Parts: sequence; C-alpha cells; structure tokens
Amino acid sequence: MSRDLLIEIGVEELPASFLAKGLETLREAAIAALDAARLEHGEVKPLGTPRRMALLVEGLAERQPDRRERVLGPPANVAFDAEGKPTRAALGFAQKNGADASAITRVETEKGVYAAVEVHEVGRPTQEVLRDLLGDVCRRIAFQKSMRWGEGDHAFGRPVHWLVGLYGDEVVPFEFVGLTAGRTSRGHRFLAPAEFEIPRADAYVDRLREARVLVSFDERREAMVAALEKAAKDLGGKLVVDEFLLGECLSLVEYPFVVPGGFHERYLALPDEVVVSVMRDHQRYFAVRRESGELLPAYLNVVNTAEAPEIIRKGNDRVLRARLEDARFFVEEDLKVDFRSRVPRLDGIVFQAKLGSIGDKVRRVRALAETLAPADLAAKIGEAAALAKADLTTLIVGEFPELQGAMGRHYALAQGVDPDVADAIVEHYRPQGADDELPRGVIGAALAVADRADTLVGCFGIGLVPTGSADPFALRRAALGVVRIALEGPIDVDVRRTLAAAYDGYQGVALADRAETLAKLEEFFVARLRVMLRDRAPADVIDACLGAWDRGSLRDLEKRLVALSRLRETPAYESLSVAFKRAFNIAKDAPAGEPEPGLFAEEAERALAEAFARERPEIEKATAAADYDRALTLVAENLRGPIDTFFEKVFVMVDDAKVRENRLKLLRAIAETVTRIAHFHLLSA
Amino acid sequence: MNFQSLILTLERFWAERGCLIVQPYDSEVGAGTFNPNTFLRAIGPEPWNVAYVEPSRRPTDGRYGDNPNRLQQFHQYQVILKPSPANIQELYLESLRAIGTDPSKHDIRFIEDDWESPTLGAWGLGWQVWLDGLEISQFTYFQQCGGIDCKPISGELTYGLERIAMYLQDVDDVYDLEWAPGVRYGEIFKRAEWEWSTYNFERADVELHQTLFDRYEKQVSELLGLSEKRGKGGALVFEKEPLERLVLPAYDCVVKCSHYFNILDARGAISVTERQRFIGRVRLIARAVAESWYAQREALGFPLLQNARAAE
Repeated sequence: MSRDLLIEIGVEELPASFLAKGLETLREAAIAALDAARLEHGEVKPLGTPRRMALLVEGLAERQPDRRERVLGPPANVAFDAEGKPTRAALGFAQKNGADASAITRVETEKGVYAAVEVHEVGRPTQEVLRDLLGDVCRRIAFQKSMRWGEGDHAFGRPVHWLVGLYGDEVVPFEFVGLTAGRTSRGHRFLAPAEFEIPRADAYVDRLREARVLVSFDERREAMVAALEKAAKDLGGKLVVDEFLLGECLSLVEYPFVVPGGFHERYLALPDEVVVSVMRDHQRYFAVRRESGELLPAYLNVVNTAEAPEIIRKGNDRVLRARLEDARFFVEEDLKVDFRSRVPRLDGIVFQAKLGSIGDKVRRVRALAETLAPADLAAKIGEAAALAKADLTTLIVGEFPELQGAMGRHYALAQGVDPDVADAIVEHYRPQGADDELPRGVIGAALAVADRADTLVGCFGIGLVPTGSADPFALRRAALGVVRIALEGPIDVDVRRTLAAAYDGYQGVALADRAETLAKLEEFFVARLRVMLRDRAPADVIDACLGAWDRGSLRDLEKRLVALSRLRETPAYESLSVAFKRAFNIAKDAPAGEPEPGLFAEEAERALAEAFARERPEIEKATAAADYDRALTLVAENLRGPIDTFFEKVFVMVDDAKVRENRLKLLRAIAETVTRIAHFHLLSA
Repeated sequence: MNFQSLILTLERFWAERGCLIVQPYDSEVGAGTFNPNTFLRAIGPEPWNVAYVEPSRRPTDGRYGDNPNRLQQFHQYQVILKPSPANIQELYLESLRAIGTDPSKHDIRFIEDDWESPTLGAWGLGWQVWLDGLEISQFTYFQQCGGIDCKPISGELTYGLERIAMYLQDVDDVYDLEWAPGVRYGEIFKRAEWEWSTYNFERADVELHQTLFDRYEKQVSELLGLSEKRGKGGALVFEKEPLERLVLPAYDCVVKCSHYFNILDARGAISVTERQRFIGRVRLIARAVAESWYAQREALGFPLLQNARAAE
C-alpha cells in the first residue's frame, strides 16, 4: 500500500536561481533520506513558483519493511570465557543491539569465529518516520546565499511563511524554521490571496490551479509560451524565442499572463541589438519580429497579474520609452565622436592590473594577429585590431556591456570604416561559447585567436591559472575558442608558435619563466583537446594522435585524427595496432642505428626489412607532407603482411646478441617511422 | 497626487503603523541608510520602527538639470521595521494602496536585488519592487551593518519618491512634477541641479576635499579612542571606555568622509586603484563607530529593549 507525499514551503519571492538550486537540493535530500529510511517510493517531482518550493513523492510505501539482520560482535575468544559463557564484552554487544544474552550465537566467518546476534527490527509506519525525517530534509536545502529575518533565529533563501506536509490525506506535522507543517496553503498573492486547505497530497497541483497558481514548471512554461506565441501572432509577427528570458519569466510569476505593449517607430532606427537588449536585459520583455525578420515596434511582457492590462501596458510603455530614449541619446552622443579617435582612450582602461591597459593589449594583439593571416591583410588587420576594443569607451557599451563588438561594428560602419574591418570588430569576440557562431572572416578570426592567446599567456604568466571550477577569466573557453576557430573556422592555428609569439609580445611585463609558462599552456591546450575531440574519436585514438602531434598546427592534428579514424574502420587496423604496439614495446631499449642486412637470419625478417626499406621513403615523405591518409594506407597495404609474418615466425630475443640487436634495430626503425604518424602504442587493444 | 501629498500620505500611513516619524539627517548622505536612524539603530538587539524622508546626494548622477530622470539629489522615503514583522510585504503593499495604486490592478513584482554598501560594511538580501515595469522601491533585510551581524533583522523599505510621483502624475520629465498645487519640481530644483552638477563635476576644490577627508577620518579615531594597534584577528582596539566615546559626532565624521569621497569621485580625482583604498578607509571608521555604538548601548543596558519588555 502506498500514498503520495507532499511538502510545500511557502516563502517570500525567491530569486530564479535560488528556486532552482533549492529544489534540486531538496529533491536530493528527500530521496537520500527516504532511501536511508528504507521507504520505497515512486517518482519524486519538484514543483515550484517564486512563492513556494514543493516536492511530490509518488507512491510512498506505508511502512518500512521489517529488517532481519545478523550483526557480528567481538571474536569468539573475546566473547566467550573458558566455560563458553558470554563475557562482559559479549553482553554489552548484545544489549546494544537489543538482544538477550541467550540470543548470542557463534558464527564462522572468513576471518574466524565471531559472536553474533540476530537483529529483528519491525518496520515503523511511514507517517511516524516522516515527522522527524522531513524537518531534517528541509534543513539540508541549500541556496547560493542564505538570509535571516525577524528575530534572526532561522536562515533560508527568503523568509518562510508556511509549511504543508501531507501524506495521503493525513497531515505530517514536521517542524522547520520555527513553523509546524499543516495542510493550509495560500494561492496567488493578488488573485487568490485567501488561505485554503489541501485535502490530499495528490490534489495539490489541481487545488493550486484553482487558486491561480500553476505550480508545475512544465505546465506553467507551456501556458507562457502559448500565450506569448498567440500575442505575437495577434501583433502580426513572430515571437523571438529567448531561452534566458523564458527561464527568468517562468520563475517570476505564479501564473503567466502576457501583456503586449509598444513603442514609437522612431526607435527602430537604433540597431536591433540595442532595442532587444534594452527590452530583454532591463525589462525582461520579449521582442517580436515580422515574418520578413524586421523588428516590430512592440514587446511582450510576461506578468503575474493582468486584471487591468491597459494600466500595466501604459506603465510599461512609459518605462521602455525612457530606456529607449536613453539608448538613443547614448548612440547619438557616441556618433558625435570619431570612432577612430577613441583608440587612445583605451590606454586608460585596465585590462588586468599586472598586465596593463586595454591599449597595451590592443597593440600586442595587433602584432600577433598579423602573424596569423596572409601578409596582404596586414593593413586591415592593423586597423581592425586597433578598433576592435574602441567601443569600450562608448556610452552605450558602458550601459549595455553585452553589446560590445556589435556596437563597435555599427559605429565603424556609420563612419565609413571598411566593412571587412567593421565585421572583424564584432567577429573577434566569437565564439562566446561551445555553440556560438565562429568568425567568418579571416581578419576577425586572426584577431579572435590573437586576443585569446594574449589573455591566456598573460594570465598563465602571472599565475592566474584555472583551478577546479574556478576560471574567472574564462581561460578554458578562450582555449576552446582558439581550437574551434582553427578546426571549423577560416584559419589554421599553430599552437606552439602562437603562444610563444604571444609571450614575446609582453615586452616590459614581468611574466613567469618563458619555457615553463609555455609548457603549462601547451598542456592546458592538450587537456582541452582531449575533452573536445571526444565526439570525433575514441579516447585512445585521440591520445595516439596527440602523442605524435608536435603541438603546432591544429589542422595537422585533425588530419592525423581523420586518417587514424579512417584506418580504424578497415580490417587491417586491429593487427596493425597490435603489431606496432609490440614493435614499439620490444624496441624501446634497442640500440640506435640501422639494421645490417647481412645479419638477418630468417626469411620473414628479411622480407620485412625489404618491404620497409622499399616503403619507408614514401611513408616518411607523406608524413612530412602531413598526408597521413596516404602514409597509413601505405603502412596498411604494404607493411601489414610482412610484420604479421615476422611476429608469427621470428623469435626476437634470441641468445645471439648480434642477431637479436639487429632485429631490435629493424623494429625500432619501423616503430620510429610509424610513431611519427600516430602513437600506435597508446591504442587500446 | 502631488509630491508633498505623497510624502504626507506615507508619513501618516507609517505613523499609524507604529513608526516614529523623524526628520532627515542634517549632513550630506547618499541614501537614507546613512541616517543614524537606520545605520546605528539597525545594530544591536533593540527594537526600532522609524520612517523619514531623506534627500539623498549622488554627485556622479548629476546631469545639469538636462536629463528627465537623473538627479544629483533626489528624495527617498525610508522605513525601518526592526525586527522585520512577518507581514512586512503586506504592509508595504498596503502602503501602495494608500498612495493610490491598487496592487491587484497593476503588475507588482519582487525582483532579486541584493544590497551592499561597501563603505558602511553593510549588506542585505531582498528585492527591487517593480510597479508595471518601473523600479519604485528597494526592499532589504539587513544581514550585517558596520561589519556586525544583525540580530534581530531590520527590514528596510526605500521608496524612490520622484519615480513614484512621476508614475502617479503621469509625467515623463521629473521637472514637470507638481510639488504642491501650482508649484513644479523644476521651479524648486532645476537651477539647483545645474549649480550642483557644475560644482560636483567642475568646481569642487579637490585639495580641500582631500584634506577634509583626511582630517575627518583622523577625528573619528580621536573621538572614539581608536588605537592603531589591532587585536586578535584584526579586532579593533579602543583606548576609551564606551561611554567616554563620542559616537554620534564620530559617525557624523564618517558620513562626511563618505560624501567627500563621492565629490572627489565626481571630480574624477580618484583612480581605480585609489578607489578601493578610499572605500576601505571609510569602511574601517564606519566599523569603529558601529562597534562603539553597540558597546555604548550595551553599557547603557539596551534601554529600548527594556522599554519593550516593560510594555509587554
């Protein structure tokens, strides 16, 4: 037999992130506690709004199962005296486990004979267990920050006002933050403020819906999205979907109403990004676009109450108008200044206290970027590098930092800067994350790589290395960005050379030791690559390629990976990987030098030596030309047979030192040649 | 509702709910929190319910009277309820009803906004309150004040009077607000905004303000007997007994230092690195005052606590 369990914690408005984290920890704590109490249960569903956190545990068993267990006590020689009677130690042990002296038995275990008792615990009714358990569960809820209120005796994410605890239709009067749980809840703050009773746990969601609260996240989200889409359609456009906003709005309302509003068309002369940012970041409004893509002079506002939408609309229209007017003022003021003349002001903005100003950074990035792109682009790169950060001195970016780049491009274009250069200004910030767009142009890509390399080297050079989850300068993201640009974007990147050049660009700045810093950074890249390439190849294939890679060109690494992955699909792969691994391991300590044909004693080794001598120049030539596909094809087609036969027929470690060493030399030469393509010995069998 | 009726309505509303109605502080402050009726009274176990208008100065926000929304001096209506009552949100919503905004007809939301004053060593958790998309109030549960953990907790409600009045009067320019019948806000303050903006940004004597900052800072130590020595864990050491310290004049000096810092900031006389140092200096003397206040109230036997017990 089972019933549902409901916990509801009524609070003052919890921030979105608090609600998410609080519910997650509540759910984990509840599951852990129920499991520890041996209470079987079904699904554990988190529910919530800004004003309540709730948990519904489905099908919670009505009592704990009985427990029979044999508990081991002291070893027999301690537990029983010479006459076989239980000692004081054994009696203490029995008492502790609620057993009589007569119940003490002897059991044989792997470690010897021990005293033992059978413990029989009768399962308690769930209702009884829950009273203590739920208070403990609630005390394990964690938030980003806790606060106290009133007399200051209790702490939680926000002040707590009521508790509901229901097991089926029975109240579980657990205690938490000085309150005792009952069955009384509250509805929507404005639309159904009266208290009401919840008859049974499984009626919770429906009963709250009657009180104008959609407590299920899914249901609330669906209602919100449907209302937004309908409102957008009524305006003759399409909703601009924004996951961030959806999440925010979802946790700001108990019931999602949508109130549309509008603004004067003259503000559409502002760049779209500005209008969308003003609406989204300051006011949490959704934008609406026409089918053709242009913005409509309208917005959608998700609100908690909409008894008088015209009043709400009027107020919001006014706020937005003031905000847009500010933005228009900023843009107009910004445009009064020649965009190019802003560059010297970057000397007054700190990049990092020890690493100088943004102006210093721009000069370093410029020199570095020029080495990353064809020489005929040098002039444009120079201009783009100088202008890339110039919008940091504008009023609009001061107000909307997320518009950096986009506004630089806008101002540059407005003042006649070359469009390639203007595009590079916005593109050099890309990619922002793993799924973000990459720079399309070579100039933007070169700047993006140079900017990130400069930050990476600077931060590593002054000891700001990411540790655990702490990565305040987003260095991992910076390294991943460089890799993605090289592998998916318009330019290749030589990791070793770029980092070294970035280091050398820090003239007059005291960085840590050059070799050490660069070595650390290369390892940092290798670690990122190992993770990032996982969706392209198995870990051992990645390691085999990373081993042979010279930490230079990222596309070179990619070619190795492609070639080896392709080989992996062929029947030859298995035996080749085994053979080369064997060759490598045997020949690890072989003497240097070429084998002497005269010392070959067996046909199989002679055949292998001949085949290798014949193929070697081509294989090495293909390797040097980074044509790993061809190199591996040659290996597979022409060396596989001879090497398999060799290992089948030839015993390498013979007593005759000369013959043995000669064989080792042959294997070593072969291993060296193929190891330059990939470290076969790192492949798993 | 004109500006002064808005103030009068709030005064009456909170007076009826048991708040002392007091007057603004007679020294320059950046917010109602700086008034000793908040900063000092939030410290320690004594109950305290108070409400007042605070003309608040933000020198860097000056716009020479040209911007319809930004002012270098504006008016806050400040309410402190200590300990914060369980129905504090309902009380606040009722106050909105009193000034003519029926919460059920509007969209009212509590948006996360934690508050911190680095100079006062104070912080709290709470919200900004939105009325139809407009931020009209700050709502904060004080957790720490002058570096001292608050117990009980004060609930602080701060109404932005100009914003609320603009909303109520349906005007887009603050200077068009009606202060009293026939008198506009601009007639009282527009010239003042221009003069003070000019002063704060262009004319304030940097050297004078730097000197004043240094001397007032020094005076705090003198008034409190604050030693340069530090005890265990950086604890402040006082060479005077609590009741020998002049806590209120010392606090006045702290408020002045904070204001001079703001002026120097508006004058562009403080670099990024210096900024942190200035803030740290103010925070230290604010903490010295806070600790002295607590020690003094304790030495007096926390009189308001005894009154409250007697009343029960």
